[in-house]
Amino acid sequence: MYKYNDFDEAFVRERVAQFSAQVARRIDGSLSEEEFRPLRLMNGLYLQLHAYMLRVAVPYGTLNSRQMRQLAYIAERCDKGYGHFTTRQNIQYNWPKLPDVPDMLSALADVEMHAIQTSGNTIRNVTSDHFAGAAADEIEDPRPWAELIRQWSTDHPEFQFLPRKFKIAVTGSPNDRAVVKAHDIGLRMIRDENGEAGFEVIVGGGLGRTPMEGKVIRPFLPKADLLPYLEAIVSVYNLLGRRDNKYKARIKITVHENGIETVRAMVEEEFLLRRTAFGGADQALFSQISDAFRAPAFSVGPTVAYDSAHAGDPVFRAWADTNLARHRNPDYAIVTISLKKPGATPGDATAAQMRVMADLAEEFGHDELRVSHEQNIVLPHVHRANLPALHARLIAADLATANIGLVSDIIACPGMDYCALATARSIPVAQEIATRFEELRLAHDIGPLKIKISGCINACGHHHVGHIGILGLDRAGVENYQITLGGDGTQDFAIGERAGPGFAYDEIVPAIERLLLAYLDLRDGQEETFLDAYRRLGPGPFKAALYPEAERGRKHAA
Amino acid sequence: MPHDPMIHPVADRVAGLNARYRNHAAQAVLERALTDPHVGRIALVSSFGAESVVLLHMLSVIDRSAPVLFIDTQMLFPETLSYQAEVATALGLTDVRTIRARPEAVAARDPEGLLHQADTDACCDLRKTEPLERALADFDAWITGRKRFQGATRATLDFFENEGDRRIKVNPLAHWAPQDVQDYMINNRLPRHPLVARGYPSIGCAPCTSRVAPGEDPRAGRWRDAEKEECGIHFINGKVVRGPLPKEEEQPMNMLVTDQGFGKDDWTNGFVSAEQIGAPADAPMLAVDLPSDTDPASLAGLLQGIALIRVEFPSFADGRGFTLARRLRLMGFNGRLRARGHVLADQYAMARRAGFDEVEISPELTARQPWEQWQARAGWQSHDYQSRLRGTA
Repeated sequence: MYKYNDFDEAFVRERVAQFSAQVARRIDGSLSEEEFRPLRLMNGLYLQLHAYMLRVAVPYGTLNSRQMRQLAYIAERCDKGYGHFTTRQNIQYNWPKLPDVPDMLSALADVEMHAIQTSGNTIRNVTSDHFAGAAADEIEDPRPWAELIRQWSTDHPEFQFLPRKFKIAVTGSPNDRAVVKAHDIGLRMIRDENGEAGFEVIVGGGLGRTPMEGKVIRPFLPKADLLPYLEAIVSVYNLLGRRDNKYKARIKITVHENGIETVRAMVEEEFLLRRTAFGGADQALFSQISDAFRAPAFSVGPTVAYDSAHAGDPVFRAWADTNLARHRNPDYAIVTISLKKPGATPGDATAAQMRVMADLAEEFGHDELRVSHEQNIVLPHVHRANLPALHARLIAADLATANIGLVSDIIACPGMDYCALATARSIPVAQEIATRFEELRLAHDIGPLKIKISGCINACGHHHVGHIGILGLDRAGVENYQITLGGDGTQDFAIGERAGPGFAYDEIVPAIERLLLAYLDLRDGQEETFLDAYRRLGPGPFKAALYPEAERGRKHAA
Repeated sequence: MPHDPMIHPVADRVAGLNARYRNHAAQAVLERALTDPHVGRIALVSSFGAESVVLLHMLSVIDRSAPVLFIDTQMLFPETLSYQAEVATALGLTDVRTIRARPEAVAARDPEGLLHQADTDACCDLRKTEPLERALADFDAWITGRKRFQGATRATLDFFENEGDRRIKVNPLAHWAPQDVQDYMINNRLPRHPLVARGYPSIGCAPCTSRVAPGEDPRAGRWRDAEKEECGIHFINGKVVRGPLPKEEEQPMNMLVTDQGFGKDDWTNGFVSAEQIGAPADAPMLAVDLPSDTDPASLAGLLQGIALIRVEFPSFADGRGFTLARRLRLMGFNGRLRARGHVLADQYAMARRAGFDEVEISPELTARQPWEQWQARAGWQSHDYQSRLRGTA
């Protein structure tokens, strides 16, 4: 894992000192809230519905046990004893008091963490594949590149006041687990015809109120050109992006309005100029970063303990079959710990649970944890022999929910319970869907399914790329939920299509139930997933299940 | 549900609202005021004057159908009436209600339309205060654009005010400074009242509004030479003494910020626009002003003879100037490079790192952000990731 050098350390300390002084000026009244706003936003501090909210960066989602314990400590000391892991691989504290924030930042700096650029119109925390460095299908670990981008984008003097926020995601694998086509810039590692690794550069993707699939701006970029090329894209956007309307200011609109050809020509021209400013120092730095991400020394040993538990213990088997993913070392597995216990708030973890996960990572997982954009925690390297013991400890900590990738593994934004922008509740909807299918005992029968819920048009819950997306809106003071179908955030990217009129709060869970029961009737055997069935059959039969009244009316008319 | 002040006293609700939203920004206060049940039925009251467009725009972003009350005293400038129509259309406001005095009241009390000459207070009562009072009877609360900086009568203004235990008055912009208003209008490209450019920073009825001289209080043109401060809709006990024009005061100069400190501008040869860059014969005494929307490619081949380039920052949130500076340096410009306008002390390190040599700020900004605040960021060469990545550390 990357370790701060003296420079990083001094940089973060300096920022804490700067911000502490700004907070002091705000508290003694010499800064108004309006003047304080841009300063706090540069340090991840939002003003939400009830209170301030601090968003802490977890760069590319990677943590060690010491950092996780510190997050637990902060949750206990400055919040209500829990934290919320987000779809941006960050953690948010929803109840900090302003005078405590400098201490929180200082506690983060103690474990090489910060909240810099987790808000504001700047390049945000870089996200990546949560299985990076462990996945069997990977060309290269994307995290050294993500770390290089983190250093380059941190405090970049040109890009602190962009037209709008700017998000970059990197994946090192052809199977996209980082949703790169829904980012302002997506980087997908590929090989050219000579077997050389490089990046496919995708620009102008995004969800929000105008969902768009990113477009390829450069089919193959040599790795060494990464920073000057990124700098070319962002500087072209800084001058060309709209500043008259914040809803049209993201680069997806810039690309849409100017055309990808025009943007590409401008970027390529700028790139030639920018490249002259990089003399190879970035590549030297990269090779140092890269050394820090070398794979751990994997242990060798029999996996009998795993095999016998899998054969003899049905509870372990159910968990192993859903929550483990294939590791590049066959004796190892990638463990996903679900933060989606039915009835709980998706992505929330208590301080005690964070400590258990830290302990498990230290004892069984080469001291590594990941935050996934699906709001779960991943232990990327666990020897199979340790899995039964690990599972028993998870049960004791109420963390053994066996639902990864299933109906109750729902992404949901904070919604009206926390967010000032929200127009509807989303967490309670997620909770009720999860609880309902728990009662029906259908989750395993339904199989792989991604439900994603947003509480407003800004789409923080990624509903556009959910196999089933739910968007909560406000219709004349009443919550109303629209359903989209067929979305997909992977390499087969698709934006879900709206199924029809929305549902009231008390109608939405029954509607999802009708939809999934219809799928079970319609599918071509157990192997056909919901998404596959939708792609084969089209929306017709699913709409019929959602709107039985309309269906009856149509038949009568016919 | 209308609020009954007898059941939920206004004073209690106001105290609770102020406590709850004390730390909120203007937009958030407005947004919550429109929905918070403790506020109740609410309308925005707007004069469609010099700065009204800010609140109107905020409202239109949140809810275009919220009621807006426009008081037409029938003594307004024709420019105000056409501006009212233009703004309402541009922002898509769907419920603008024009409030006027009842014709029979006007016929009885001001048949000639000359009451303002005899008794301005009576005229305000007839044409403004009474019609508004009638219109507000259906509301529990109303929104105004008043700000603390607008004078001593408004210096302690809160977001929520108790208006005579009958209604709540909401002042989302209470904490805004003059620059915030300007920034908001620039950032959102809002249409300006045509009279502002002609010297009217505060606009009321035509007979009682006059031009304001540079340096005078912006509201000095309202009821000039009268003891009057407020028309009566915002009547508060206690008077303000507005100072006379400063006598023979020296025109305040912009300040130049460099690593060494504050200093006076040493460039005395003036500036030209990019279109006016002439023959190389002008060199080396040529200085050019660039607006923030300049396309740097348009300057290719012209940089040779320029001694100084000054890049405009219309707002601190407009970061185009930083990229323009970097581009000019990459294109080979070696002369003096200056950022001018709304640049914050906290942005000084960015400006220097992007390629600027110096920053030029207004007297107002100089007063608000003294040298100590700039000095805190003057060590711009340390803690810089870019110089490490480019091997220039």
